[in-house]
Amino acid sequence: MSRSVPRLPTTRRDWRLMTRTARLVLSVPTYAVVASAASVAALTLFVVSLNVPLVSGVVVGGSLPLANRLRVLLELYPFVGTSFGTAQGGLLLVVAVLSGVDVSMAVYHLREHGLSLQTGGTTLAGVVLGTLGAGCAACGSAVLLGLASLLGVGSSLLFLPLDGLEFALGASVVLVVSIYWLADGMRGGRVAGCPVDV
Amino acid sequence: MSVPDHPTAAALTAQPRYGDLDGHLIVAFEDPSCPRCAAFHDRVVPTIRDQLVEPGDAAFVFRNYPVVYAWGEPATQALEATFARDESAFWGLLDYYYRNQSRLSIDNVSRLTESFLAGTDLDETAVVADAESAAYDDAVQADLDAAEAGGVGRSTPAVALFRDGTFVTTANGSVSYDLIANTLGEA
Repeated sequence: MSRSVPRLPTTRRDWRLMTRTARLVLSVPTYAVVASAASVAALTLFVVSLNVPLVSGVVVGGSLPLANRLRVLLELYPFVGTSFGTAQGGLLLVVAVLSGVDVSMAVYHLREHGLSLQTGGTTLAGVVLGTLGAGCAACGSAVLLGLASLLGVGSSLLFLPLDGLEFALGASVVLVVSIYWLADGMRGGRVAGCPVDV
Repeated sequence: MSVPDHPTAAALTAQPRYGDLDGHLIVAFEDPSCPRCAAFHDRVVPTIRDQLVEPGDAAFVFRNYPVVYAWGEPATQALEATFARDESAFWGLLDYYYRNQSRLSIDNVSRLTESFLAGTDLDETAVVADAESAAYDDAVQADLDAAEAGGVGRSTPAVALFRDGTFVTTANGSVSYDLIANTLGEA
């Protein structure tokens, strides 16, 4: 039966379907590697997007010894440097891991069944929101307040209880929805020899 | 680009500063209402002072950059009005803002500023009056202009790093001491 309105994961059965499908896909070594690489790439995108001049001028270019350049790069990551607090860094890691799982499932789905535009779009939206979340987590919401001012909302009217992590939370929701749609699309199939359906 | 030619270092000697200007230079653009600026001020600046400023290897310069919450703007006016009178009181007021971010707002920033300054040698009423009339707005605007011309972006805090008098890069967020020291070749 075709559905005109995309479903959201609202029941325990939906969540079991998501976790089972993700576990099955990640049990295939190739896709575990894809997920790990995509997670690291997403996290790198989040942190590097905040400091493009630093990375291009000091890590990639410049005259520092290699060890200093690598140290500068590592210091941009959560729990290595000091750019993010515990909650902010933890949430960014969650978004990065979800991005990795999402991308590996999307690659699997693409190779096995062909990927819908809708699911590909939500994956991209999740990564974009995660990047904005990283920006806000580091700057205390200046980016989000700037966007709000473009919409005519004064900063005095806007209070962000999570100091900009709202974007990262939004990213995690989008990524979960994307993972659910992917799992839903794989319903009835088999991954690693096991049925996806629960 | 050398320090005198770089926009982030405009009117450098007129800014609050730790250390002498004959070594490396760290110019920090901060907003008193920005939580990550508070983290930077609390966790990174003390190490910069201990490891780079005290040995005479670098200077740390503060510039106002009120771009986050609304109360940061009157707080910045108060910081400039305080700095014009006494640099030590300026650093104390900045500490006070960062430690009390959770209870400061556009509605109480003047009252709490006055209350804090009452414990110093300054005329707290005159400082708050100057802040409310934006008597030192030229200094605030000079900082904002330096940030814009220097292209530091809107993610705060932002630091401009100069190694031995030459501009190296800007960095955004409460970047670590190790990042700064490595960039300056002091790790």
